[in-house]
Amino acid sequence: MPHSSHRLIPSTSSGRLPNKLPNKLLFSIFGVLIITLSACGGASSAASSGPVTLTFWSWVPNLQPVVDSWNATHPNIQVKFSEVTSGQGGTYAKMFTAIKAKNAPDLGQIEYQFLPTFEGTGGLADISQYIPAGTSSKFVGWTWNQVTQGKAVYAVPQDTGPMALFYRKDLFTKYNISVPTTWAEYADAAAKLHAANPSCYITNFGATDPGWIIGLMWQAGGRWFRVNNNAWTVGINDTASQQVANYWQGLVDQKLVKTDADWSDAWYKDLDNCGSSTWVSAAWGANTIISNAPDTKGDWAVAPMPQWTAGGQVAGNWGGSSTVVFKDSAHPKEAAEFALWLNSTTQPVELMVKGAQLYPALTSELSSPAVNTPSDFYGGQVVNQVFGQVSSQVDTQFQWGPTMDQVFTDMNDALGAAVSGNGTLSQALDTVQTKTVNAMKAAGISVNG
Amino acid sequence: MQESINIAQKSPSRSARFKRFWRRVKIPLMFMAPFWIVFLAFFIIPICYAVYESLYKTVRSGLGLGPPSVVFAGFENYAQILHDTNFSTSLLRMLLFGIVQVPIMLVVALILALLMDSAVVRFKTFFRLSFFVPYAIPGIVAALLWGFLYDPGVSPVVALIHNLGLHNFNFLGSNSILWSMANIVTWEWTGYNMIIIFAGLQAIPQELYEASRVDGSTGLDVVRYIKIPLVAPAIVLTAIFSIIGTLQIFSEPSILRTISSNVTSSFTPNYYVYNVAFVNNNFQYSAALAVVLAIVTFVFSFGFLRLTQRQAGLE
Repeated sequence: MPHSSHRLIPSTSSGRLPNKLPNKLLFSIFGVLIITLSACGGASSAASSGPVTLTFWSWVPNLQPVVDSWNATHPNIQVKFSEVTSGQGGTYAKMFTAIKAKNAPDLGQIEYQFLPTFEGTGGLADISQYIPAGTSSKFVGWTWNQVTQGKAVYAVPQDTGPMALFYRKDLFTKYNISVPTTWAEYADAAAKLHAANPSCYITNFGATDPGWIIGLMWQAGGRWFRVNNNAWTVGINDTASQQVANYWQGLVDQKLVKTDADWSDAWYKDLDNCGSSTWVSAAWGANTIISNAPDTKGDWAVAPMPQWTAGGQVAGNWGGSSTVVFKDSAHPKEAAEFALWLNSTTQPVELMVKGAQLYPALTSELSSPAVNTPSDFYGGQVVNQVFGQVSSQVDTQFQWGPTMDQVFTDMNDALGAAVSGNGTLSQALDTVQTKTVNAMKAAGISVNG
Repeated sequence: MQESINIAQKSPSRSARFKRFWRRVKIPLMFMAPFWIVFLAFFIIPICYAVYESLYKTVRSGLGLGPPSVVFAGFENYAQILHDTNFSTSLLRMLLFGIVQVPIMLVVALILALLMDSAVVRFKTFFRLSFFVPYAIPGIVAALLWGFLYDPGVSPVVALIHNLGLHNFNFLGSNSILWSMANIVTWEWTGYNMIIIFAGLQAIPQELYEASRVDGSTGLDVVRYIKIPLVAPAIVLTAIFSIIGTLQIFSEPSILRTISSNVTSSFTPNYYVYNVAFVNNNFQYSAALAVVLAIVTFVFSFGFLRLTQRQAGLE
C-alpha cells in the first residue's frame, strides 16, 4: 500500500475553512448540475403566436430543397428537416422511444407496412379534421385505405412501391439470355448466367429485409393479415407464401443466388459488379442503383417482374411510405398542412420524383412529363412507364398487421437461419406464423384460429 | 476533540444540534455531491424505473389499432422470461463464448504482462502502449473496422484466403460468427487486462526476487512461485471484469448484424434486451429482461469470486 497523505485537508473543519463560502459554493454546484441535467431533458414546446417551427424526420433522399421551397413561401410555418436513417435502419426505434418519452417530432416518414403498428402505439395524431373534403380522391385508391382507419386519417400517402425487374441488359445480351417473363424462366436464367460466368449471380437473396420477400409473396397471392369478424386472420405460411419460399429455397440450395445481407457493403457492391445481375425491386429501387452502382450507368433496364403463370399480369409491392403527424405535436394543424402540401402539390411531388425517383401516390402526377422522362442511367428508358403499367397490377387488398415490428424481427431471425442452412425458408414461415399469433394473443389482440 | 466534549455537555436544542450537524457534513457533502447526483440520475433512478416498468405490461384490444393501455402485471413478465428460449439460448451462447474466450484472453494478457515485466524485452514503453491502443478505440469503431475485414464483399483478408483455395471460408457463417466476435473482443480487451496484471507485477517487492535468486531459482521458477501467485488477485479481478463484459456484449452483434444474416436479434442477452425495447417496442418486457440479466451477471461474478477467494486474497 502506498502511504498517501490522507490528511491533506484537516478532518476537523474548525475555523480553517470559512463557513460562509461553502453555502454559496454548495448552491452553485447544485445549480450548475441541475441546469445541466435539465438541459438534457429536451425541448419544451409552448404554443405561441408568431412563426411556428415544425420538426420533420425523413429518409427520402434530396428532401432538403423541397423543404426549403416550403419555408421560403410559408414564413409562419417553418419546417426543420432532419435526415434520418431508413425506418428499419433505426428510425422506427427512435420514433417508438420518442413516442414513449413524449418528445416525438411533429412530422415523420412511415412506410405503409408499419402504419398499423404505429397506430397501435397511440402515437399518431388523427388529422382527419384538417383534411379538406375531396382529398382522398387525389391519391391512388389503395394508398388512402392504408392511411385511414374508419373515419380517422393517420397519414398522407407519399409514394408507392410497385415492383418490377431491374436487370443488367448488357450481361443478358452478352450471354445471350432472354429476359425472363416467368419465375421458371428466371430460374433458368440464373443457371445459365452463373454457368457462363461463375462470378456472376442472378440476384442476391437477402434475408435481412423481409419487406422484399413479402412483396414477392404479395405478388403470388399471399395474404398475411386479414380481418374477419373483428379479429385478425394470420396467413404468413399460406400456400402462396410457401410457394415463394420453396422457389427461393431451390435457388439457394443450388447456390445460384448470393446470400449477402441486405444493404451491407457486399450487397451494394454486388449491384456494381455482376453479383446481382437482376434485382426485383420497387420503383424507388431505381435510385438505389443509381446512387450505389455508378459504374454500371447505361447497363440496366427495367421490365415487369416474372410471373407465376405464363402471360399473367400481377405485380407485388414493396414499401412506399407516408407522412404522419405525431400525437404530441403542439401544432397538428400546421403539420397536417405541410404533409398535404408535400404530397399533393405538383411542385414538391415533382421535386421528389426527380431527387429520389419516388413513384408518387398522387394520381394526377402519374401521367405527368416529370414522372415519365427518359433516364440516362437506364439507357434512355422511360423507367416509370413500366412502373405505371405494373402499378395497376398490384393486389390492393393486401393488409398489414398491427405487430409488424415483431413480425419483421422474427422474419429476419428465421430467414437468416434458413439461408445459412439451419432449416428451410418454408419452416421459417411456419416459425414466424406461430410466433406472430402468440405475440398478438399475448398483447390482447383478437386473432382467429 | 476538546471542542466536541464541551458541546456535548451543553445539551443543546434540536435546531442547534442540527446546525452543528449540518456544519460538520456540509463540506463532505459538497465534495460528494457531483458523484451522488450523477450516480442517482444515471444509475439508481434508471434502475428503479426499470424495476418499476418490469411490473407493468401494455395491453391492446380488438384489432390492436387503437391506443393501448398500460396495466399492472405483477411478475407476469418474469414468468414469461422462464419460457423465453431466445433469452436462454443467448445466455448459453455467452456461456460458451466466455468459457472459450475469457481464458484465452487472460492467458495472452498474462504472458504479455510477464514479458513486459521481464528484463529481456526492449522498447517496453512502445509495446505497452501499442498493446493498449485497441482499448482506446471505441467498441463500435472496433466492430466496424473488423466488420470490413470480415465482409466477403470488401475484405482483402477474405479475398486472400479465397485465393489460397479455401473458397468456402466465411468469417460471418453461422458457425464462425461467434468466434469472429470473440476475436474482436480479445483484440480489444487483452491490452487492458495486461495493464492491470502488469501493474500487479510492478508492485511485487524486489526483495522477493533477490531472496529467490539466493535460493537458486531459475527465471521460470520466479514466474511460477513468485510472480503468478502474487498477481493472482489481479487475474481474478480481470476475470470478473471479463465475465461481466461477456454478458454485456452489444456493439459486436449490432454492427455485424448489418453485414451478416447469422446474427439474430437475440444473439447476445444485452442485444436482445435492446431489440425487445426499441425495435419491438416492448419496454416493459425488456425492463424485466434487463433486471434478470443484471441478476445473472451478479450471480456469475460473485460466484466466481467465491470460487477463487483464496487466490483473490480474500481469505
